[in-house]
Amino acid sequence: MRVQLFGTCLVDTFFPETGEAVVRLLRHFGVEAIFPKDQTCCGKPADSAGYVREARKAALHFLSVFDGQDPIVIPSGSCASMVKNHYPGLFHGDDRMRKKAEETAARTYELSQFLVHVLEAHKAGLSGKGTITYHSSCQLMRELGVREEPLTLLKSLKGAEFVPLPNADRCCGFGGVFMGKMPEVSMALANEKAESVIGTGADTLTGCDHGCLMNIADAIQRRRANVRVRHLASVLAEGL
Amino acid sequence: MSRLSFGIPFRANAAAALKNASLIEAMRTSTSTFTEKRAEGVAKVPFEQWREEASRIRTEVLDNLPQLIDRFAAAATRAGSIVHRARDAEAAREIVGSILKDRGVRTVVKAKSMVTEEIHLNQYLESMEIRPVETDLGEYIVQIAGEKPSHILAPALHKNRRDIGKLFAEKLGIEYTDDPEVLTKVARRALREEFISADAGLSGVNLAAADTGSIAIFTNEGNGRMVTTLPPIHVAVMTMEKIIPSLADLSLFIRLLPRSATGQTLSSYFSLITGTRKAGEATGARELHIVIVDNGRSRILQGEFRDILKCIRCSACLNVCPVFRAIGGHAYGSTYPGPMGIVLTTLLDGMEKAHPILDGSTLCGACTEVCPVKVPLAGLIASLRRQKVELGFADTNERIGMAGFGMAAGSPSLFAFSQSMAHRLWSVIQRLGRNSAVERLPRPVEQTFRRRMS
Amino acid sequence: MTRDEIVNLFMENAAKAAAETFKVSGPEGLKQVVAEITKGNSPIYCAAVTENEKAAAIPPEVLTDDFFTAAVSVEEVFGAIAETGSLICSSEGGKPVQGGLLPSHHIAIVAAENIFPELEDFFGTRTLPLPANITLETGPSRTADIELTLTIGVHGPERLSIIVV
Repeated sequence: MRVQLFGTCLVDTFFPETGEAVVRLLRHFGVEAIFPKDQTCCGKPADSAGYVREARKAALHFLSVFDGQDPIVIPSGSCASMVKNHYPGLFHGDDRMRKKAEETAARTYELSQFLVHVLEAHKAGLSGKGTITYHSSCQLMRELGVREEPLTLLKSLKGAEFVPLPNADRCCGFGGVFMGKMPEVSMALANEKAESVIGTGADTLTGCDHGCLMNIADAIQRRRANVRVRHLASVLAEGL
Repeated sequence: MSRLSFGIPFRANAAAALKNASLIEAMRTSTSTFTEKRAEGVAKVPFEQWREEASRIRTEVLDNLPQLIDRFAAAATRAGSIVHRARDAEAAREIVGSILKDRGVRTVVKAKSMVTEEIHLNQYLESMEIRPVETDLGEYIVQIAGEKPSHILAPALHKNRRDIGKLFAEKLGIEYTDDPEVLTKVARRALREEFISADAGLSGVNLAAADTGSIAIFTNEGNGRMVTTLPPIHVAVMTMEKIIPSLADLSLFIRLLPRSATGQTLSSYFSLITGTRKAGEATGARELHIVIVDNGRSRILQGEFRDILKCIRCSACLNVCPVFRAIGGHAYGSTYPGPMGIVLTTLLDGMEKAHPILDGSTLCGACTEVCPVKVPLAGLIASLRRQKVELGFADTNERIGMAGFGMAAGSPSLFAFSQSMAHRLWSVIQRLGRNSAVERLPRPVEQTFRRRMS
Repeated sequence: MTRDEIVNLFMENAAKAAAETFKVSGPEGLKQVVAEITKGNSPIYCAAVTENEKAAAIPPEVLTDDFFTAAVSVEEVFGAIAETGSLICSSEGGKPVQGGLLPSHHIAIVAAENIFPELEDFFGTRTLPLPANITLETGPSRTADIELTLTIGVHGPERLSIIVV
């Protein structure tokens, strides 16, 4: 089986190891990940901030780069939701592009969705280590409806202990452009989230969105707490 | 073009609020309590089914609002009420003011009403030498403190018991105590006198049934009942979208509103008032005036954001909003705070004044998820941001940045070049970005994922 | 639902809303419960119009006809709603609804046959003209306006007793 991998700009620019973990993980399940080299950003930041023209530019580019029939896998809830839920609406009045956006949306998966629903990775007996807690990112949970999949995967790990995060569904304050526009509030929310994470006593925090993880990781570092913050792909790939 | 406009200083207000330790503590505890109680309240019932049905009814109301208002007005008149219509805040103030003045009213007892805050009624009445006395405990606290409500349901949410103890000691001349029970009884005694001697009662309206001309009011304290039954004159002020088609629809909203607000199955008191005291009755005002306020809503109804008029003011979206929870209601600088407040304020007050509060959402969608009438709040905020950009209220740096982003998103080589520049110039970027989110980002890597994959 | 189930559901939900509930089988029981829960507390306002109100047999020396100054009010209410544990107080028939609001102890008598299972069973059957005031009373008066600390008895009754006959 072959999929197209959209790395996301955050993974590309800041966390390439996560991208590599995704590739290894997919390969383990016999899936070849193609990386279309002309990919850029999905356009989410522009879309959230109200810049339709710029968001549309990004979407047009994405749709041309990710042409074809292969499933598209995205290691981010907010980017996957951008493609699946927001792209069609950007082409209001342009039936041809709207149709293309809808077709593309239909074959797009957020990583944990793909791992559970297509590859049944939770039945593969993967292993892990330590105690792991999980932050549920907002768009993943509320726009894509992905609530259980990451937990199913984490709970299936042999040798690792899953500890639930109190108020896991409360926003960490990243919010894409929000972090830039309301930095004080963003920081305050990240601090509260970091306290919750540290309070669980887990040695690893994981999640499906590097935006949130980056925001929380910074707050954890400022507290000099000994908690590793890793994307779900890295946590799963570690035990291969 | 970028318009030079300042509007509400939202970021500064929010930053100031975050420095207020007692506010933060009060907000965290109270919103958590509300959110937990609400979750318990909706867990045992077919909530999804109810909100689907409620959303359908509220949409039907918006589709037929002018006719429903006429039907309501006719039915209310038949039941003995006097119905007034106010195009804007000024007209609403004048209508209420002249009703009271013409009847020689000196003191009016008030039950909680957000629309009277919206139209700044209290100040107006005071200028006419009519004394408005807020009787909801939270409103009373806020009134004697000379403040404004910070939450549409729990106006004094931003104050802790010590603040209130000091306030009562100073303004009511009692000995300092921070025992909520004692403070509540002090207010009970002070206000009981006011209820009995007031010349008129002034209330808001939670819902209004078009077929019977009835108005419905929910309270926990019993002040709503006092205000509407003890004085001879009752003036009810409502915004036009409070209408529901019929009394038969009421049960559904009785189930949804208190549960969404506080998790209660029903508030302690729910009063359904239909006209004035009739022959042979011993309860009810002798004169009931219902003032229906438009104040921009007919305009909102015609536009793409009309779904905000489905809102029934339960406050669930405030309590669950991470931003509201962190900074409280005053930072928004508007009558209505939180997600519904961001949308409604922008539409009522205009983009020029309100555009900064559009930044007050992470678009996490928690608001949309809890809304009992399915107002797509996060979606409306996102759409209003689009309008803000179109109307030129975005700041210049952001516009330039986004234009650059658009170019890079369409050009892989420019995108890769930006990444490598960001890596190389990171120390410069960090210096420029002092006190901004840049300080909190890791350094971009040299070997990006795209490089590693090629 | 059978009548017994409706009564039990009502009493359960009313108790959840912090009302005290009693069930009596006739006039004798009613008189006894009223005497017990009003002991030492007067004056009492009771219109003594309905059969059940008369059966409460409040001694004339503790009665008052002024509900503004009464410490207790005893009234038979229009009915109740099991789903929400609410009493239905209606101004129909000349009842002063505020009689149950001002005194700090409200004693409400409900005839078992007047308990509606759900909200619609009551509101759905209402026809015009409606009385000026229908109030659903669910538990005693309360507030949580100070630090969300629940305090019972703000403007309305501090104590609500319900007797189902």
